[in-house]
Amino acid sequence: MAELSFPLPDLGEGLIEATVLEWLVEPGEQVERNQPLVEVETTKSAVELPSPQAGKVLRTYGVPGAKVSVGEPLIVFEVADDAAGIVGTVPRDEAPKRRVRLTAVPDED
Amino acid sequence: MPATTDPPALTAPELRELYRLMAATRALDTAAVAWQRQGAIPGFAPQLGQEAAQVGSGFVVDRRRDFAFPTYRELGVARAMGVDMVGYMATHKALWHGGLYDPAQSRFAPVQAVVAGSVLHAVGWAHGQTLAGHDGVALSYFGDGASSQGDVHEAMNFAGVLRAPVVFFVQNNGWAISVPTERQVAGGSVAARAAGYGIVSERVDGNDVVAVVEATRRAFAQARSGGGPVLIEAMTYRRGPHSTSDDPGRYRSLEDERRDAGTDPLERLAQQLLRTGAADQAFLEEARSAAAADAEQVRTKLAALGPRPGREMFEFVYQEPTGALKSQAAAWRVESEHV
Amino acid sequence: MSETTIAAPGRTGADPEPAAPRQLSMQQALNLALADILATDPAAVVLGEDVGTLGGVFRVTDGLQGRFGAARVFDTPLAESGILGMSVGLAMAGFHPLPEVQFDGFAYPAVNQIVCQIGRMNYRSRGTLPMPITLRVPSFGGIRAPEHHGESLEALFAHVPGLKVVSPSTPEEAYHLLRYAAARPDPVIFMEPKSRYWQKGEVSTGRRGADGDLGSRVARPGKHVTLIAWGAMVARCLQVAELAAEDGIEVEVLDLRWLKPLDAEGLAASVRRTRRAVVVHEAPLTSGLGAEVAALVTERCFDTLRAPVERVTGFDVPYPSGDLEDEYIPNIDRILFGIQRVLEYRRG
Repeated sequence: MAELSFPLPDLGEGLIEATVLEWLVEPGEQVERNQPLVEVETTKSAVELPSPQAGKVLRTYGVPGAKVSVGEPLIVFEVADDAAGIVGTVPRDEAPKRRVRLTAVPDED
Repeated sequence: MPATTDPPALTAPELRELYRLMAATRALDTAAVAWQRQGAIPGFAPQLGQEAAQVGSGFVVDRRRDFAFPTYRELGVARAMGVDMVGYMATHKALWHGGLYDPAQSRFAPVQAVVAGSVLHAVGWAHGQTLAGHDGVALSYFGDGASSQGDVHEAMNFAGVLRAPVVFFVQNNGWAISVPTERQVAGGSVAARAAGYGIVSERVDGNDVVAVVEATRRAFAQARSGGGPVLIEAMTYRRGPHSTSDDPGRYRSLEDERRDAGTDPLERLAQQLLRTGAADQAFLEEARSAAAADAEQVRTKLAALGPRPGREMFEFVYQEPTGALKSQAAAWRVESEHV
Repeated sequence: MSETTIAAPGRTGADPEPAAPRQLSMQQALNLALADILATDPAAVVLGEDVGTLGGVFRVTDGLQGRFGAARVFDTPLAESGILGMSVGLAMAGFHPLPEVQFDGFAYPAVNQIVCQIGRMNYRSRGTLPMPITLRVPSFGGIRAPEHHGESLEALFAHVPGLKVVSPSTPEEAYHLLRYAAARPDPVIFMEPKSRYWQKGEVSTGRRGADGDLGSRVARPGKHVTLIAWGAMVARCLQVAELAAEDGIEVEVLDLRWLKPLDAEGLAASVRRTRRAVVVHEAPLTSGLGAEVAALVTERCFDTLRAPVERVTGFDVPYPSGDLEDEYIPNIDRILFGIQRVLEYRRG
């Protein structure tokens, strides 16, 4: 298994930090993509951050009331080792699909 | 300027040796142009006028631990480093591209025809010294024209990042075939670029062999002691054509040459020797006649080198030749071996 | 050089005791191979972009810097010509460099050094400056990556005198071929099929010897037609063979492995058995390696061939974006069509 860190994104245009209001998940919990992770407040608004991916939560950063800077780690997931590299996706080994059938009979001379 | 202390001044015997080497280089270089005119070799890239830059820098190399990476115009460096000159000239006789000297044993890489091709090799070799815990220094040669190549920038950046023990020795001879330095080097100075890579550099009068030796010694001392890379830009002048098939009359006049070439580096050293009493006229004459004899001997031995056997085409492609190559060699033997 | 202690030609480290075969992904198998190379060959060094702290963009060098140190596994500035040119100098200093170019398309900036220097230094120096360089290139398509991340360069490199080219198809092949390549005194372009990095397979450590590492490999025996492939296309051809069996056609799959030198005898032996050949590759058709394969088969098997050699390949287009990737890479149906054509063919 590998660790994958999710940093706090810039939630507005040029914001530099946000305040943690409430964590909606906790370490050890298995989360799905888009599951709400945390509620944070910026100088512009309070927003709920959806999980960027599925995985097990390893660590969270920032207790309620704490400020987290944009780009700093917010949450760390445990993900399977077969996550792709820096670009691209992991191809799935799918059951082969066909439309063509072989009809020729090879001569056996 | 490098932060190391200045090396001791050149001694009289060293100055005389430099004169002998420069005279030998001049004689062989001049002879090679004549050989081409006589049909003895198909082509040559003369270094006329660059004897001080080449001999002065090559003179500093310690063959027990250093390694030089030349271009195709480094006759004086080769001569100063004691490379077998018949093997060196073999490349100009079209016998073998890299020359017939042993580059590993000579500490002088094979003649390199790709402009800027070997500059990165010097950095890699130099970093290898760091990894192995050795104190060898790589000496990389390139010119004002090659300084336009991307590989030179990559090499300087890698060397700066790795603090590799490499000395970049730039011979700015004013001309890249027909294009003058002012239309080649933006900003006018290759040495100035070194600062951008965190590399110490200095510009020297490349026609003053004493200045070249001293600058190269300072650079070697810094690189050898872990001080990182150094760049030397030796300002000199290509007094001859780019090669024996070039016609400088199409892009510069004799008047330009007289004005820009400055004092002949060989003559300059001769005057200095006489002025300081390090040598007398008899020594100069003896050195010049030894140089002429030297060139004549190279010519005799080079002429004696017959054509290379065709099988050599196949022999050095791999250490472990492929089956396909072996069968091509076998077919060649049957169908067209003529030596 | 002979006095370079770290680069002594002898391999002073003992090879690890062969472990029981285990299930590894190709990425893990390559990582293990690199670790075993570094452990047994004191002259081996790994260099490239992000190969150190990060462990490579595909994690093939993961953990190697921690285990072997930042001197032997090091990050370089972002310049491919620099990486390969530097490898030449390291080889001249007695090292056995294992450079990585991050993606196939980024080998192009290094072509000058690969072709004019790495491929020629042994020749130019008359054998006195060999180039024991193994260049690892994550290769071919199939992962929906950006432009320049899905190229197939085998024909380009196979055309260059002085180079050797190899591409593994399974974790087992990846481990052994990388170890074999790294022990060679000649430069080897090692093309890793990046779409297969994560597929697992059984890997035996312990060396299998040149006989096991050289030439081609029959990945599946069959008697009616030979499918010739390498890299990621081997797995696809095995799928095709399975489907063809449902139709009563027994397909032999030949994994070429070495793209230079090509195993002409292995090719001929297979096609003499099956009398029909279809070569499959991801690279564009024109002047692709399939043409060389077809020529070798025709030269050796003209009398026994029942049909012209078929080529099922990528198209003569720039490698397309991810959405069109499946249209470009030979798919199962296109390969089946190719088989159908050689089976149907009748002379005159």
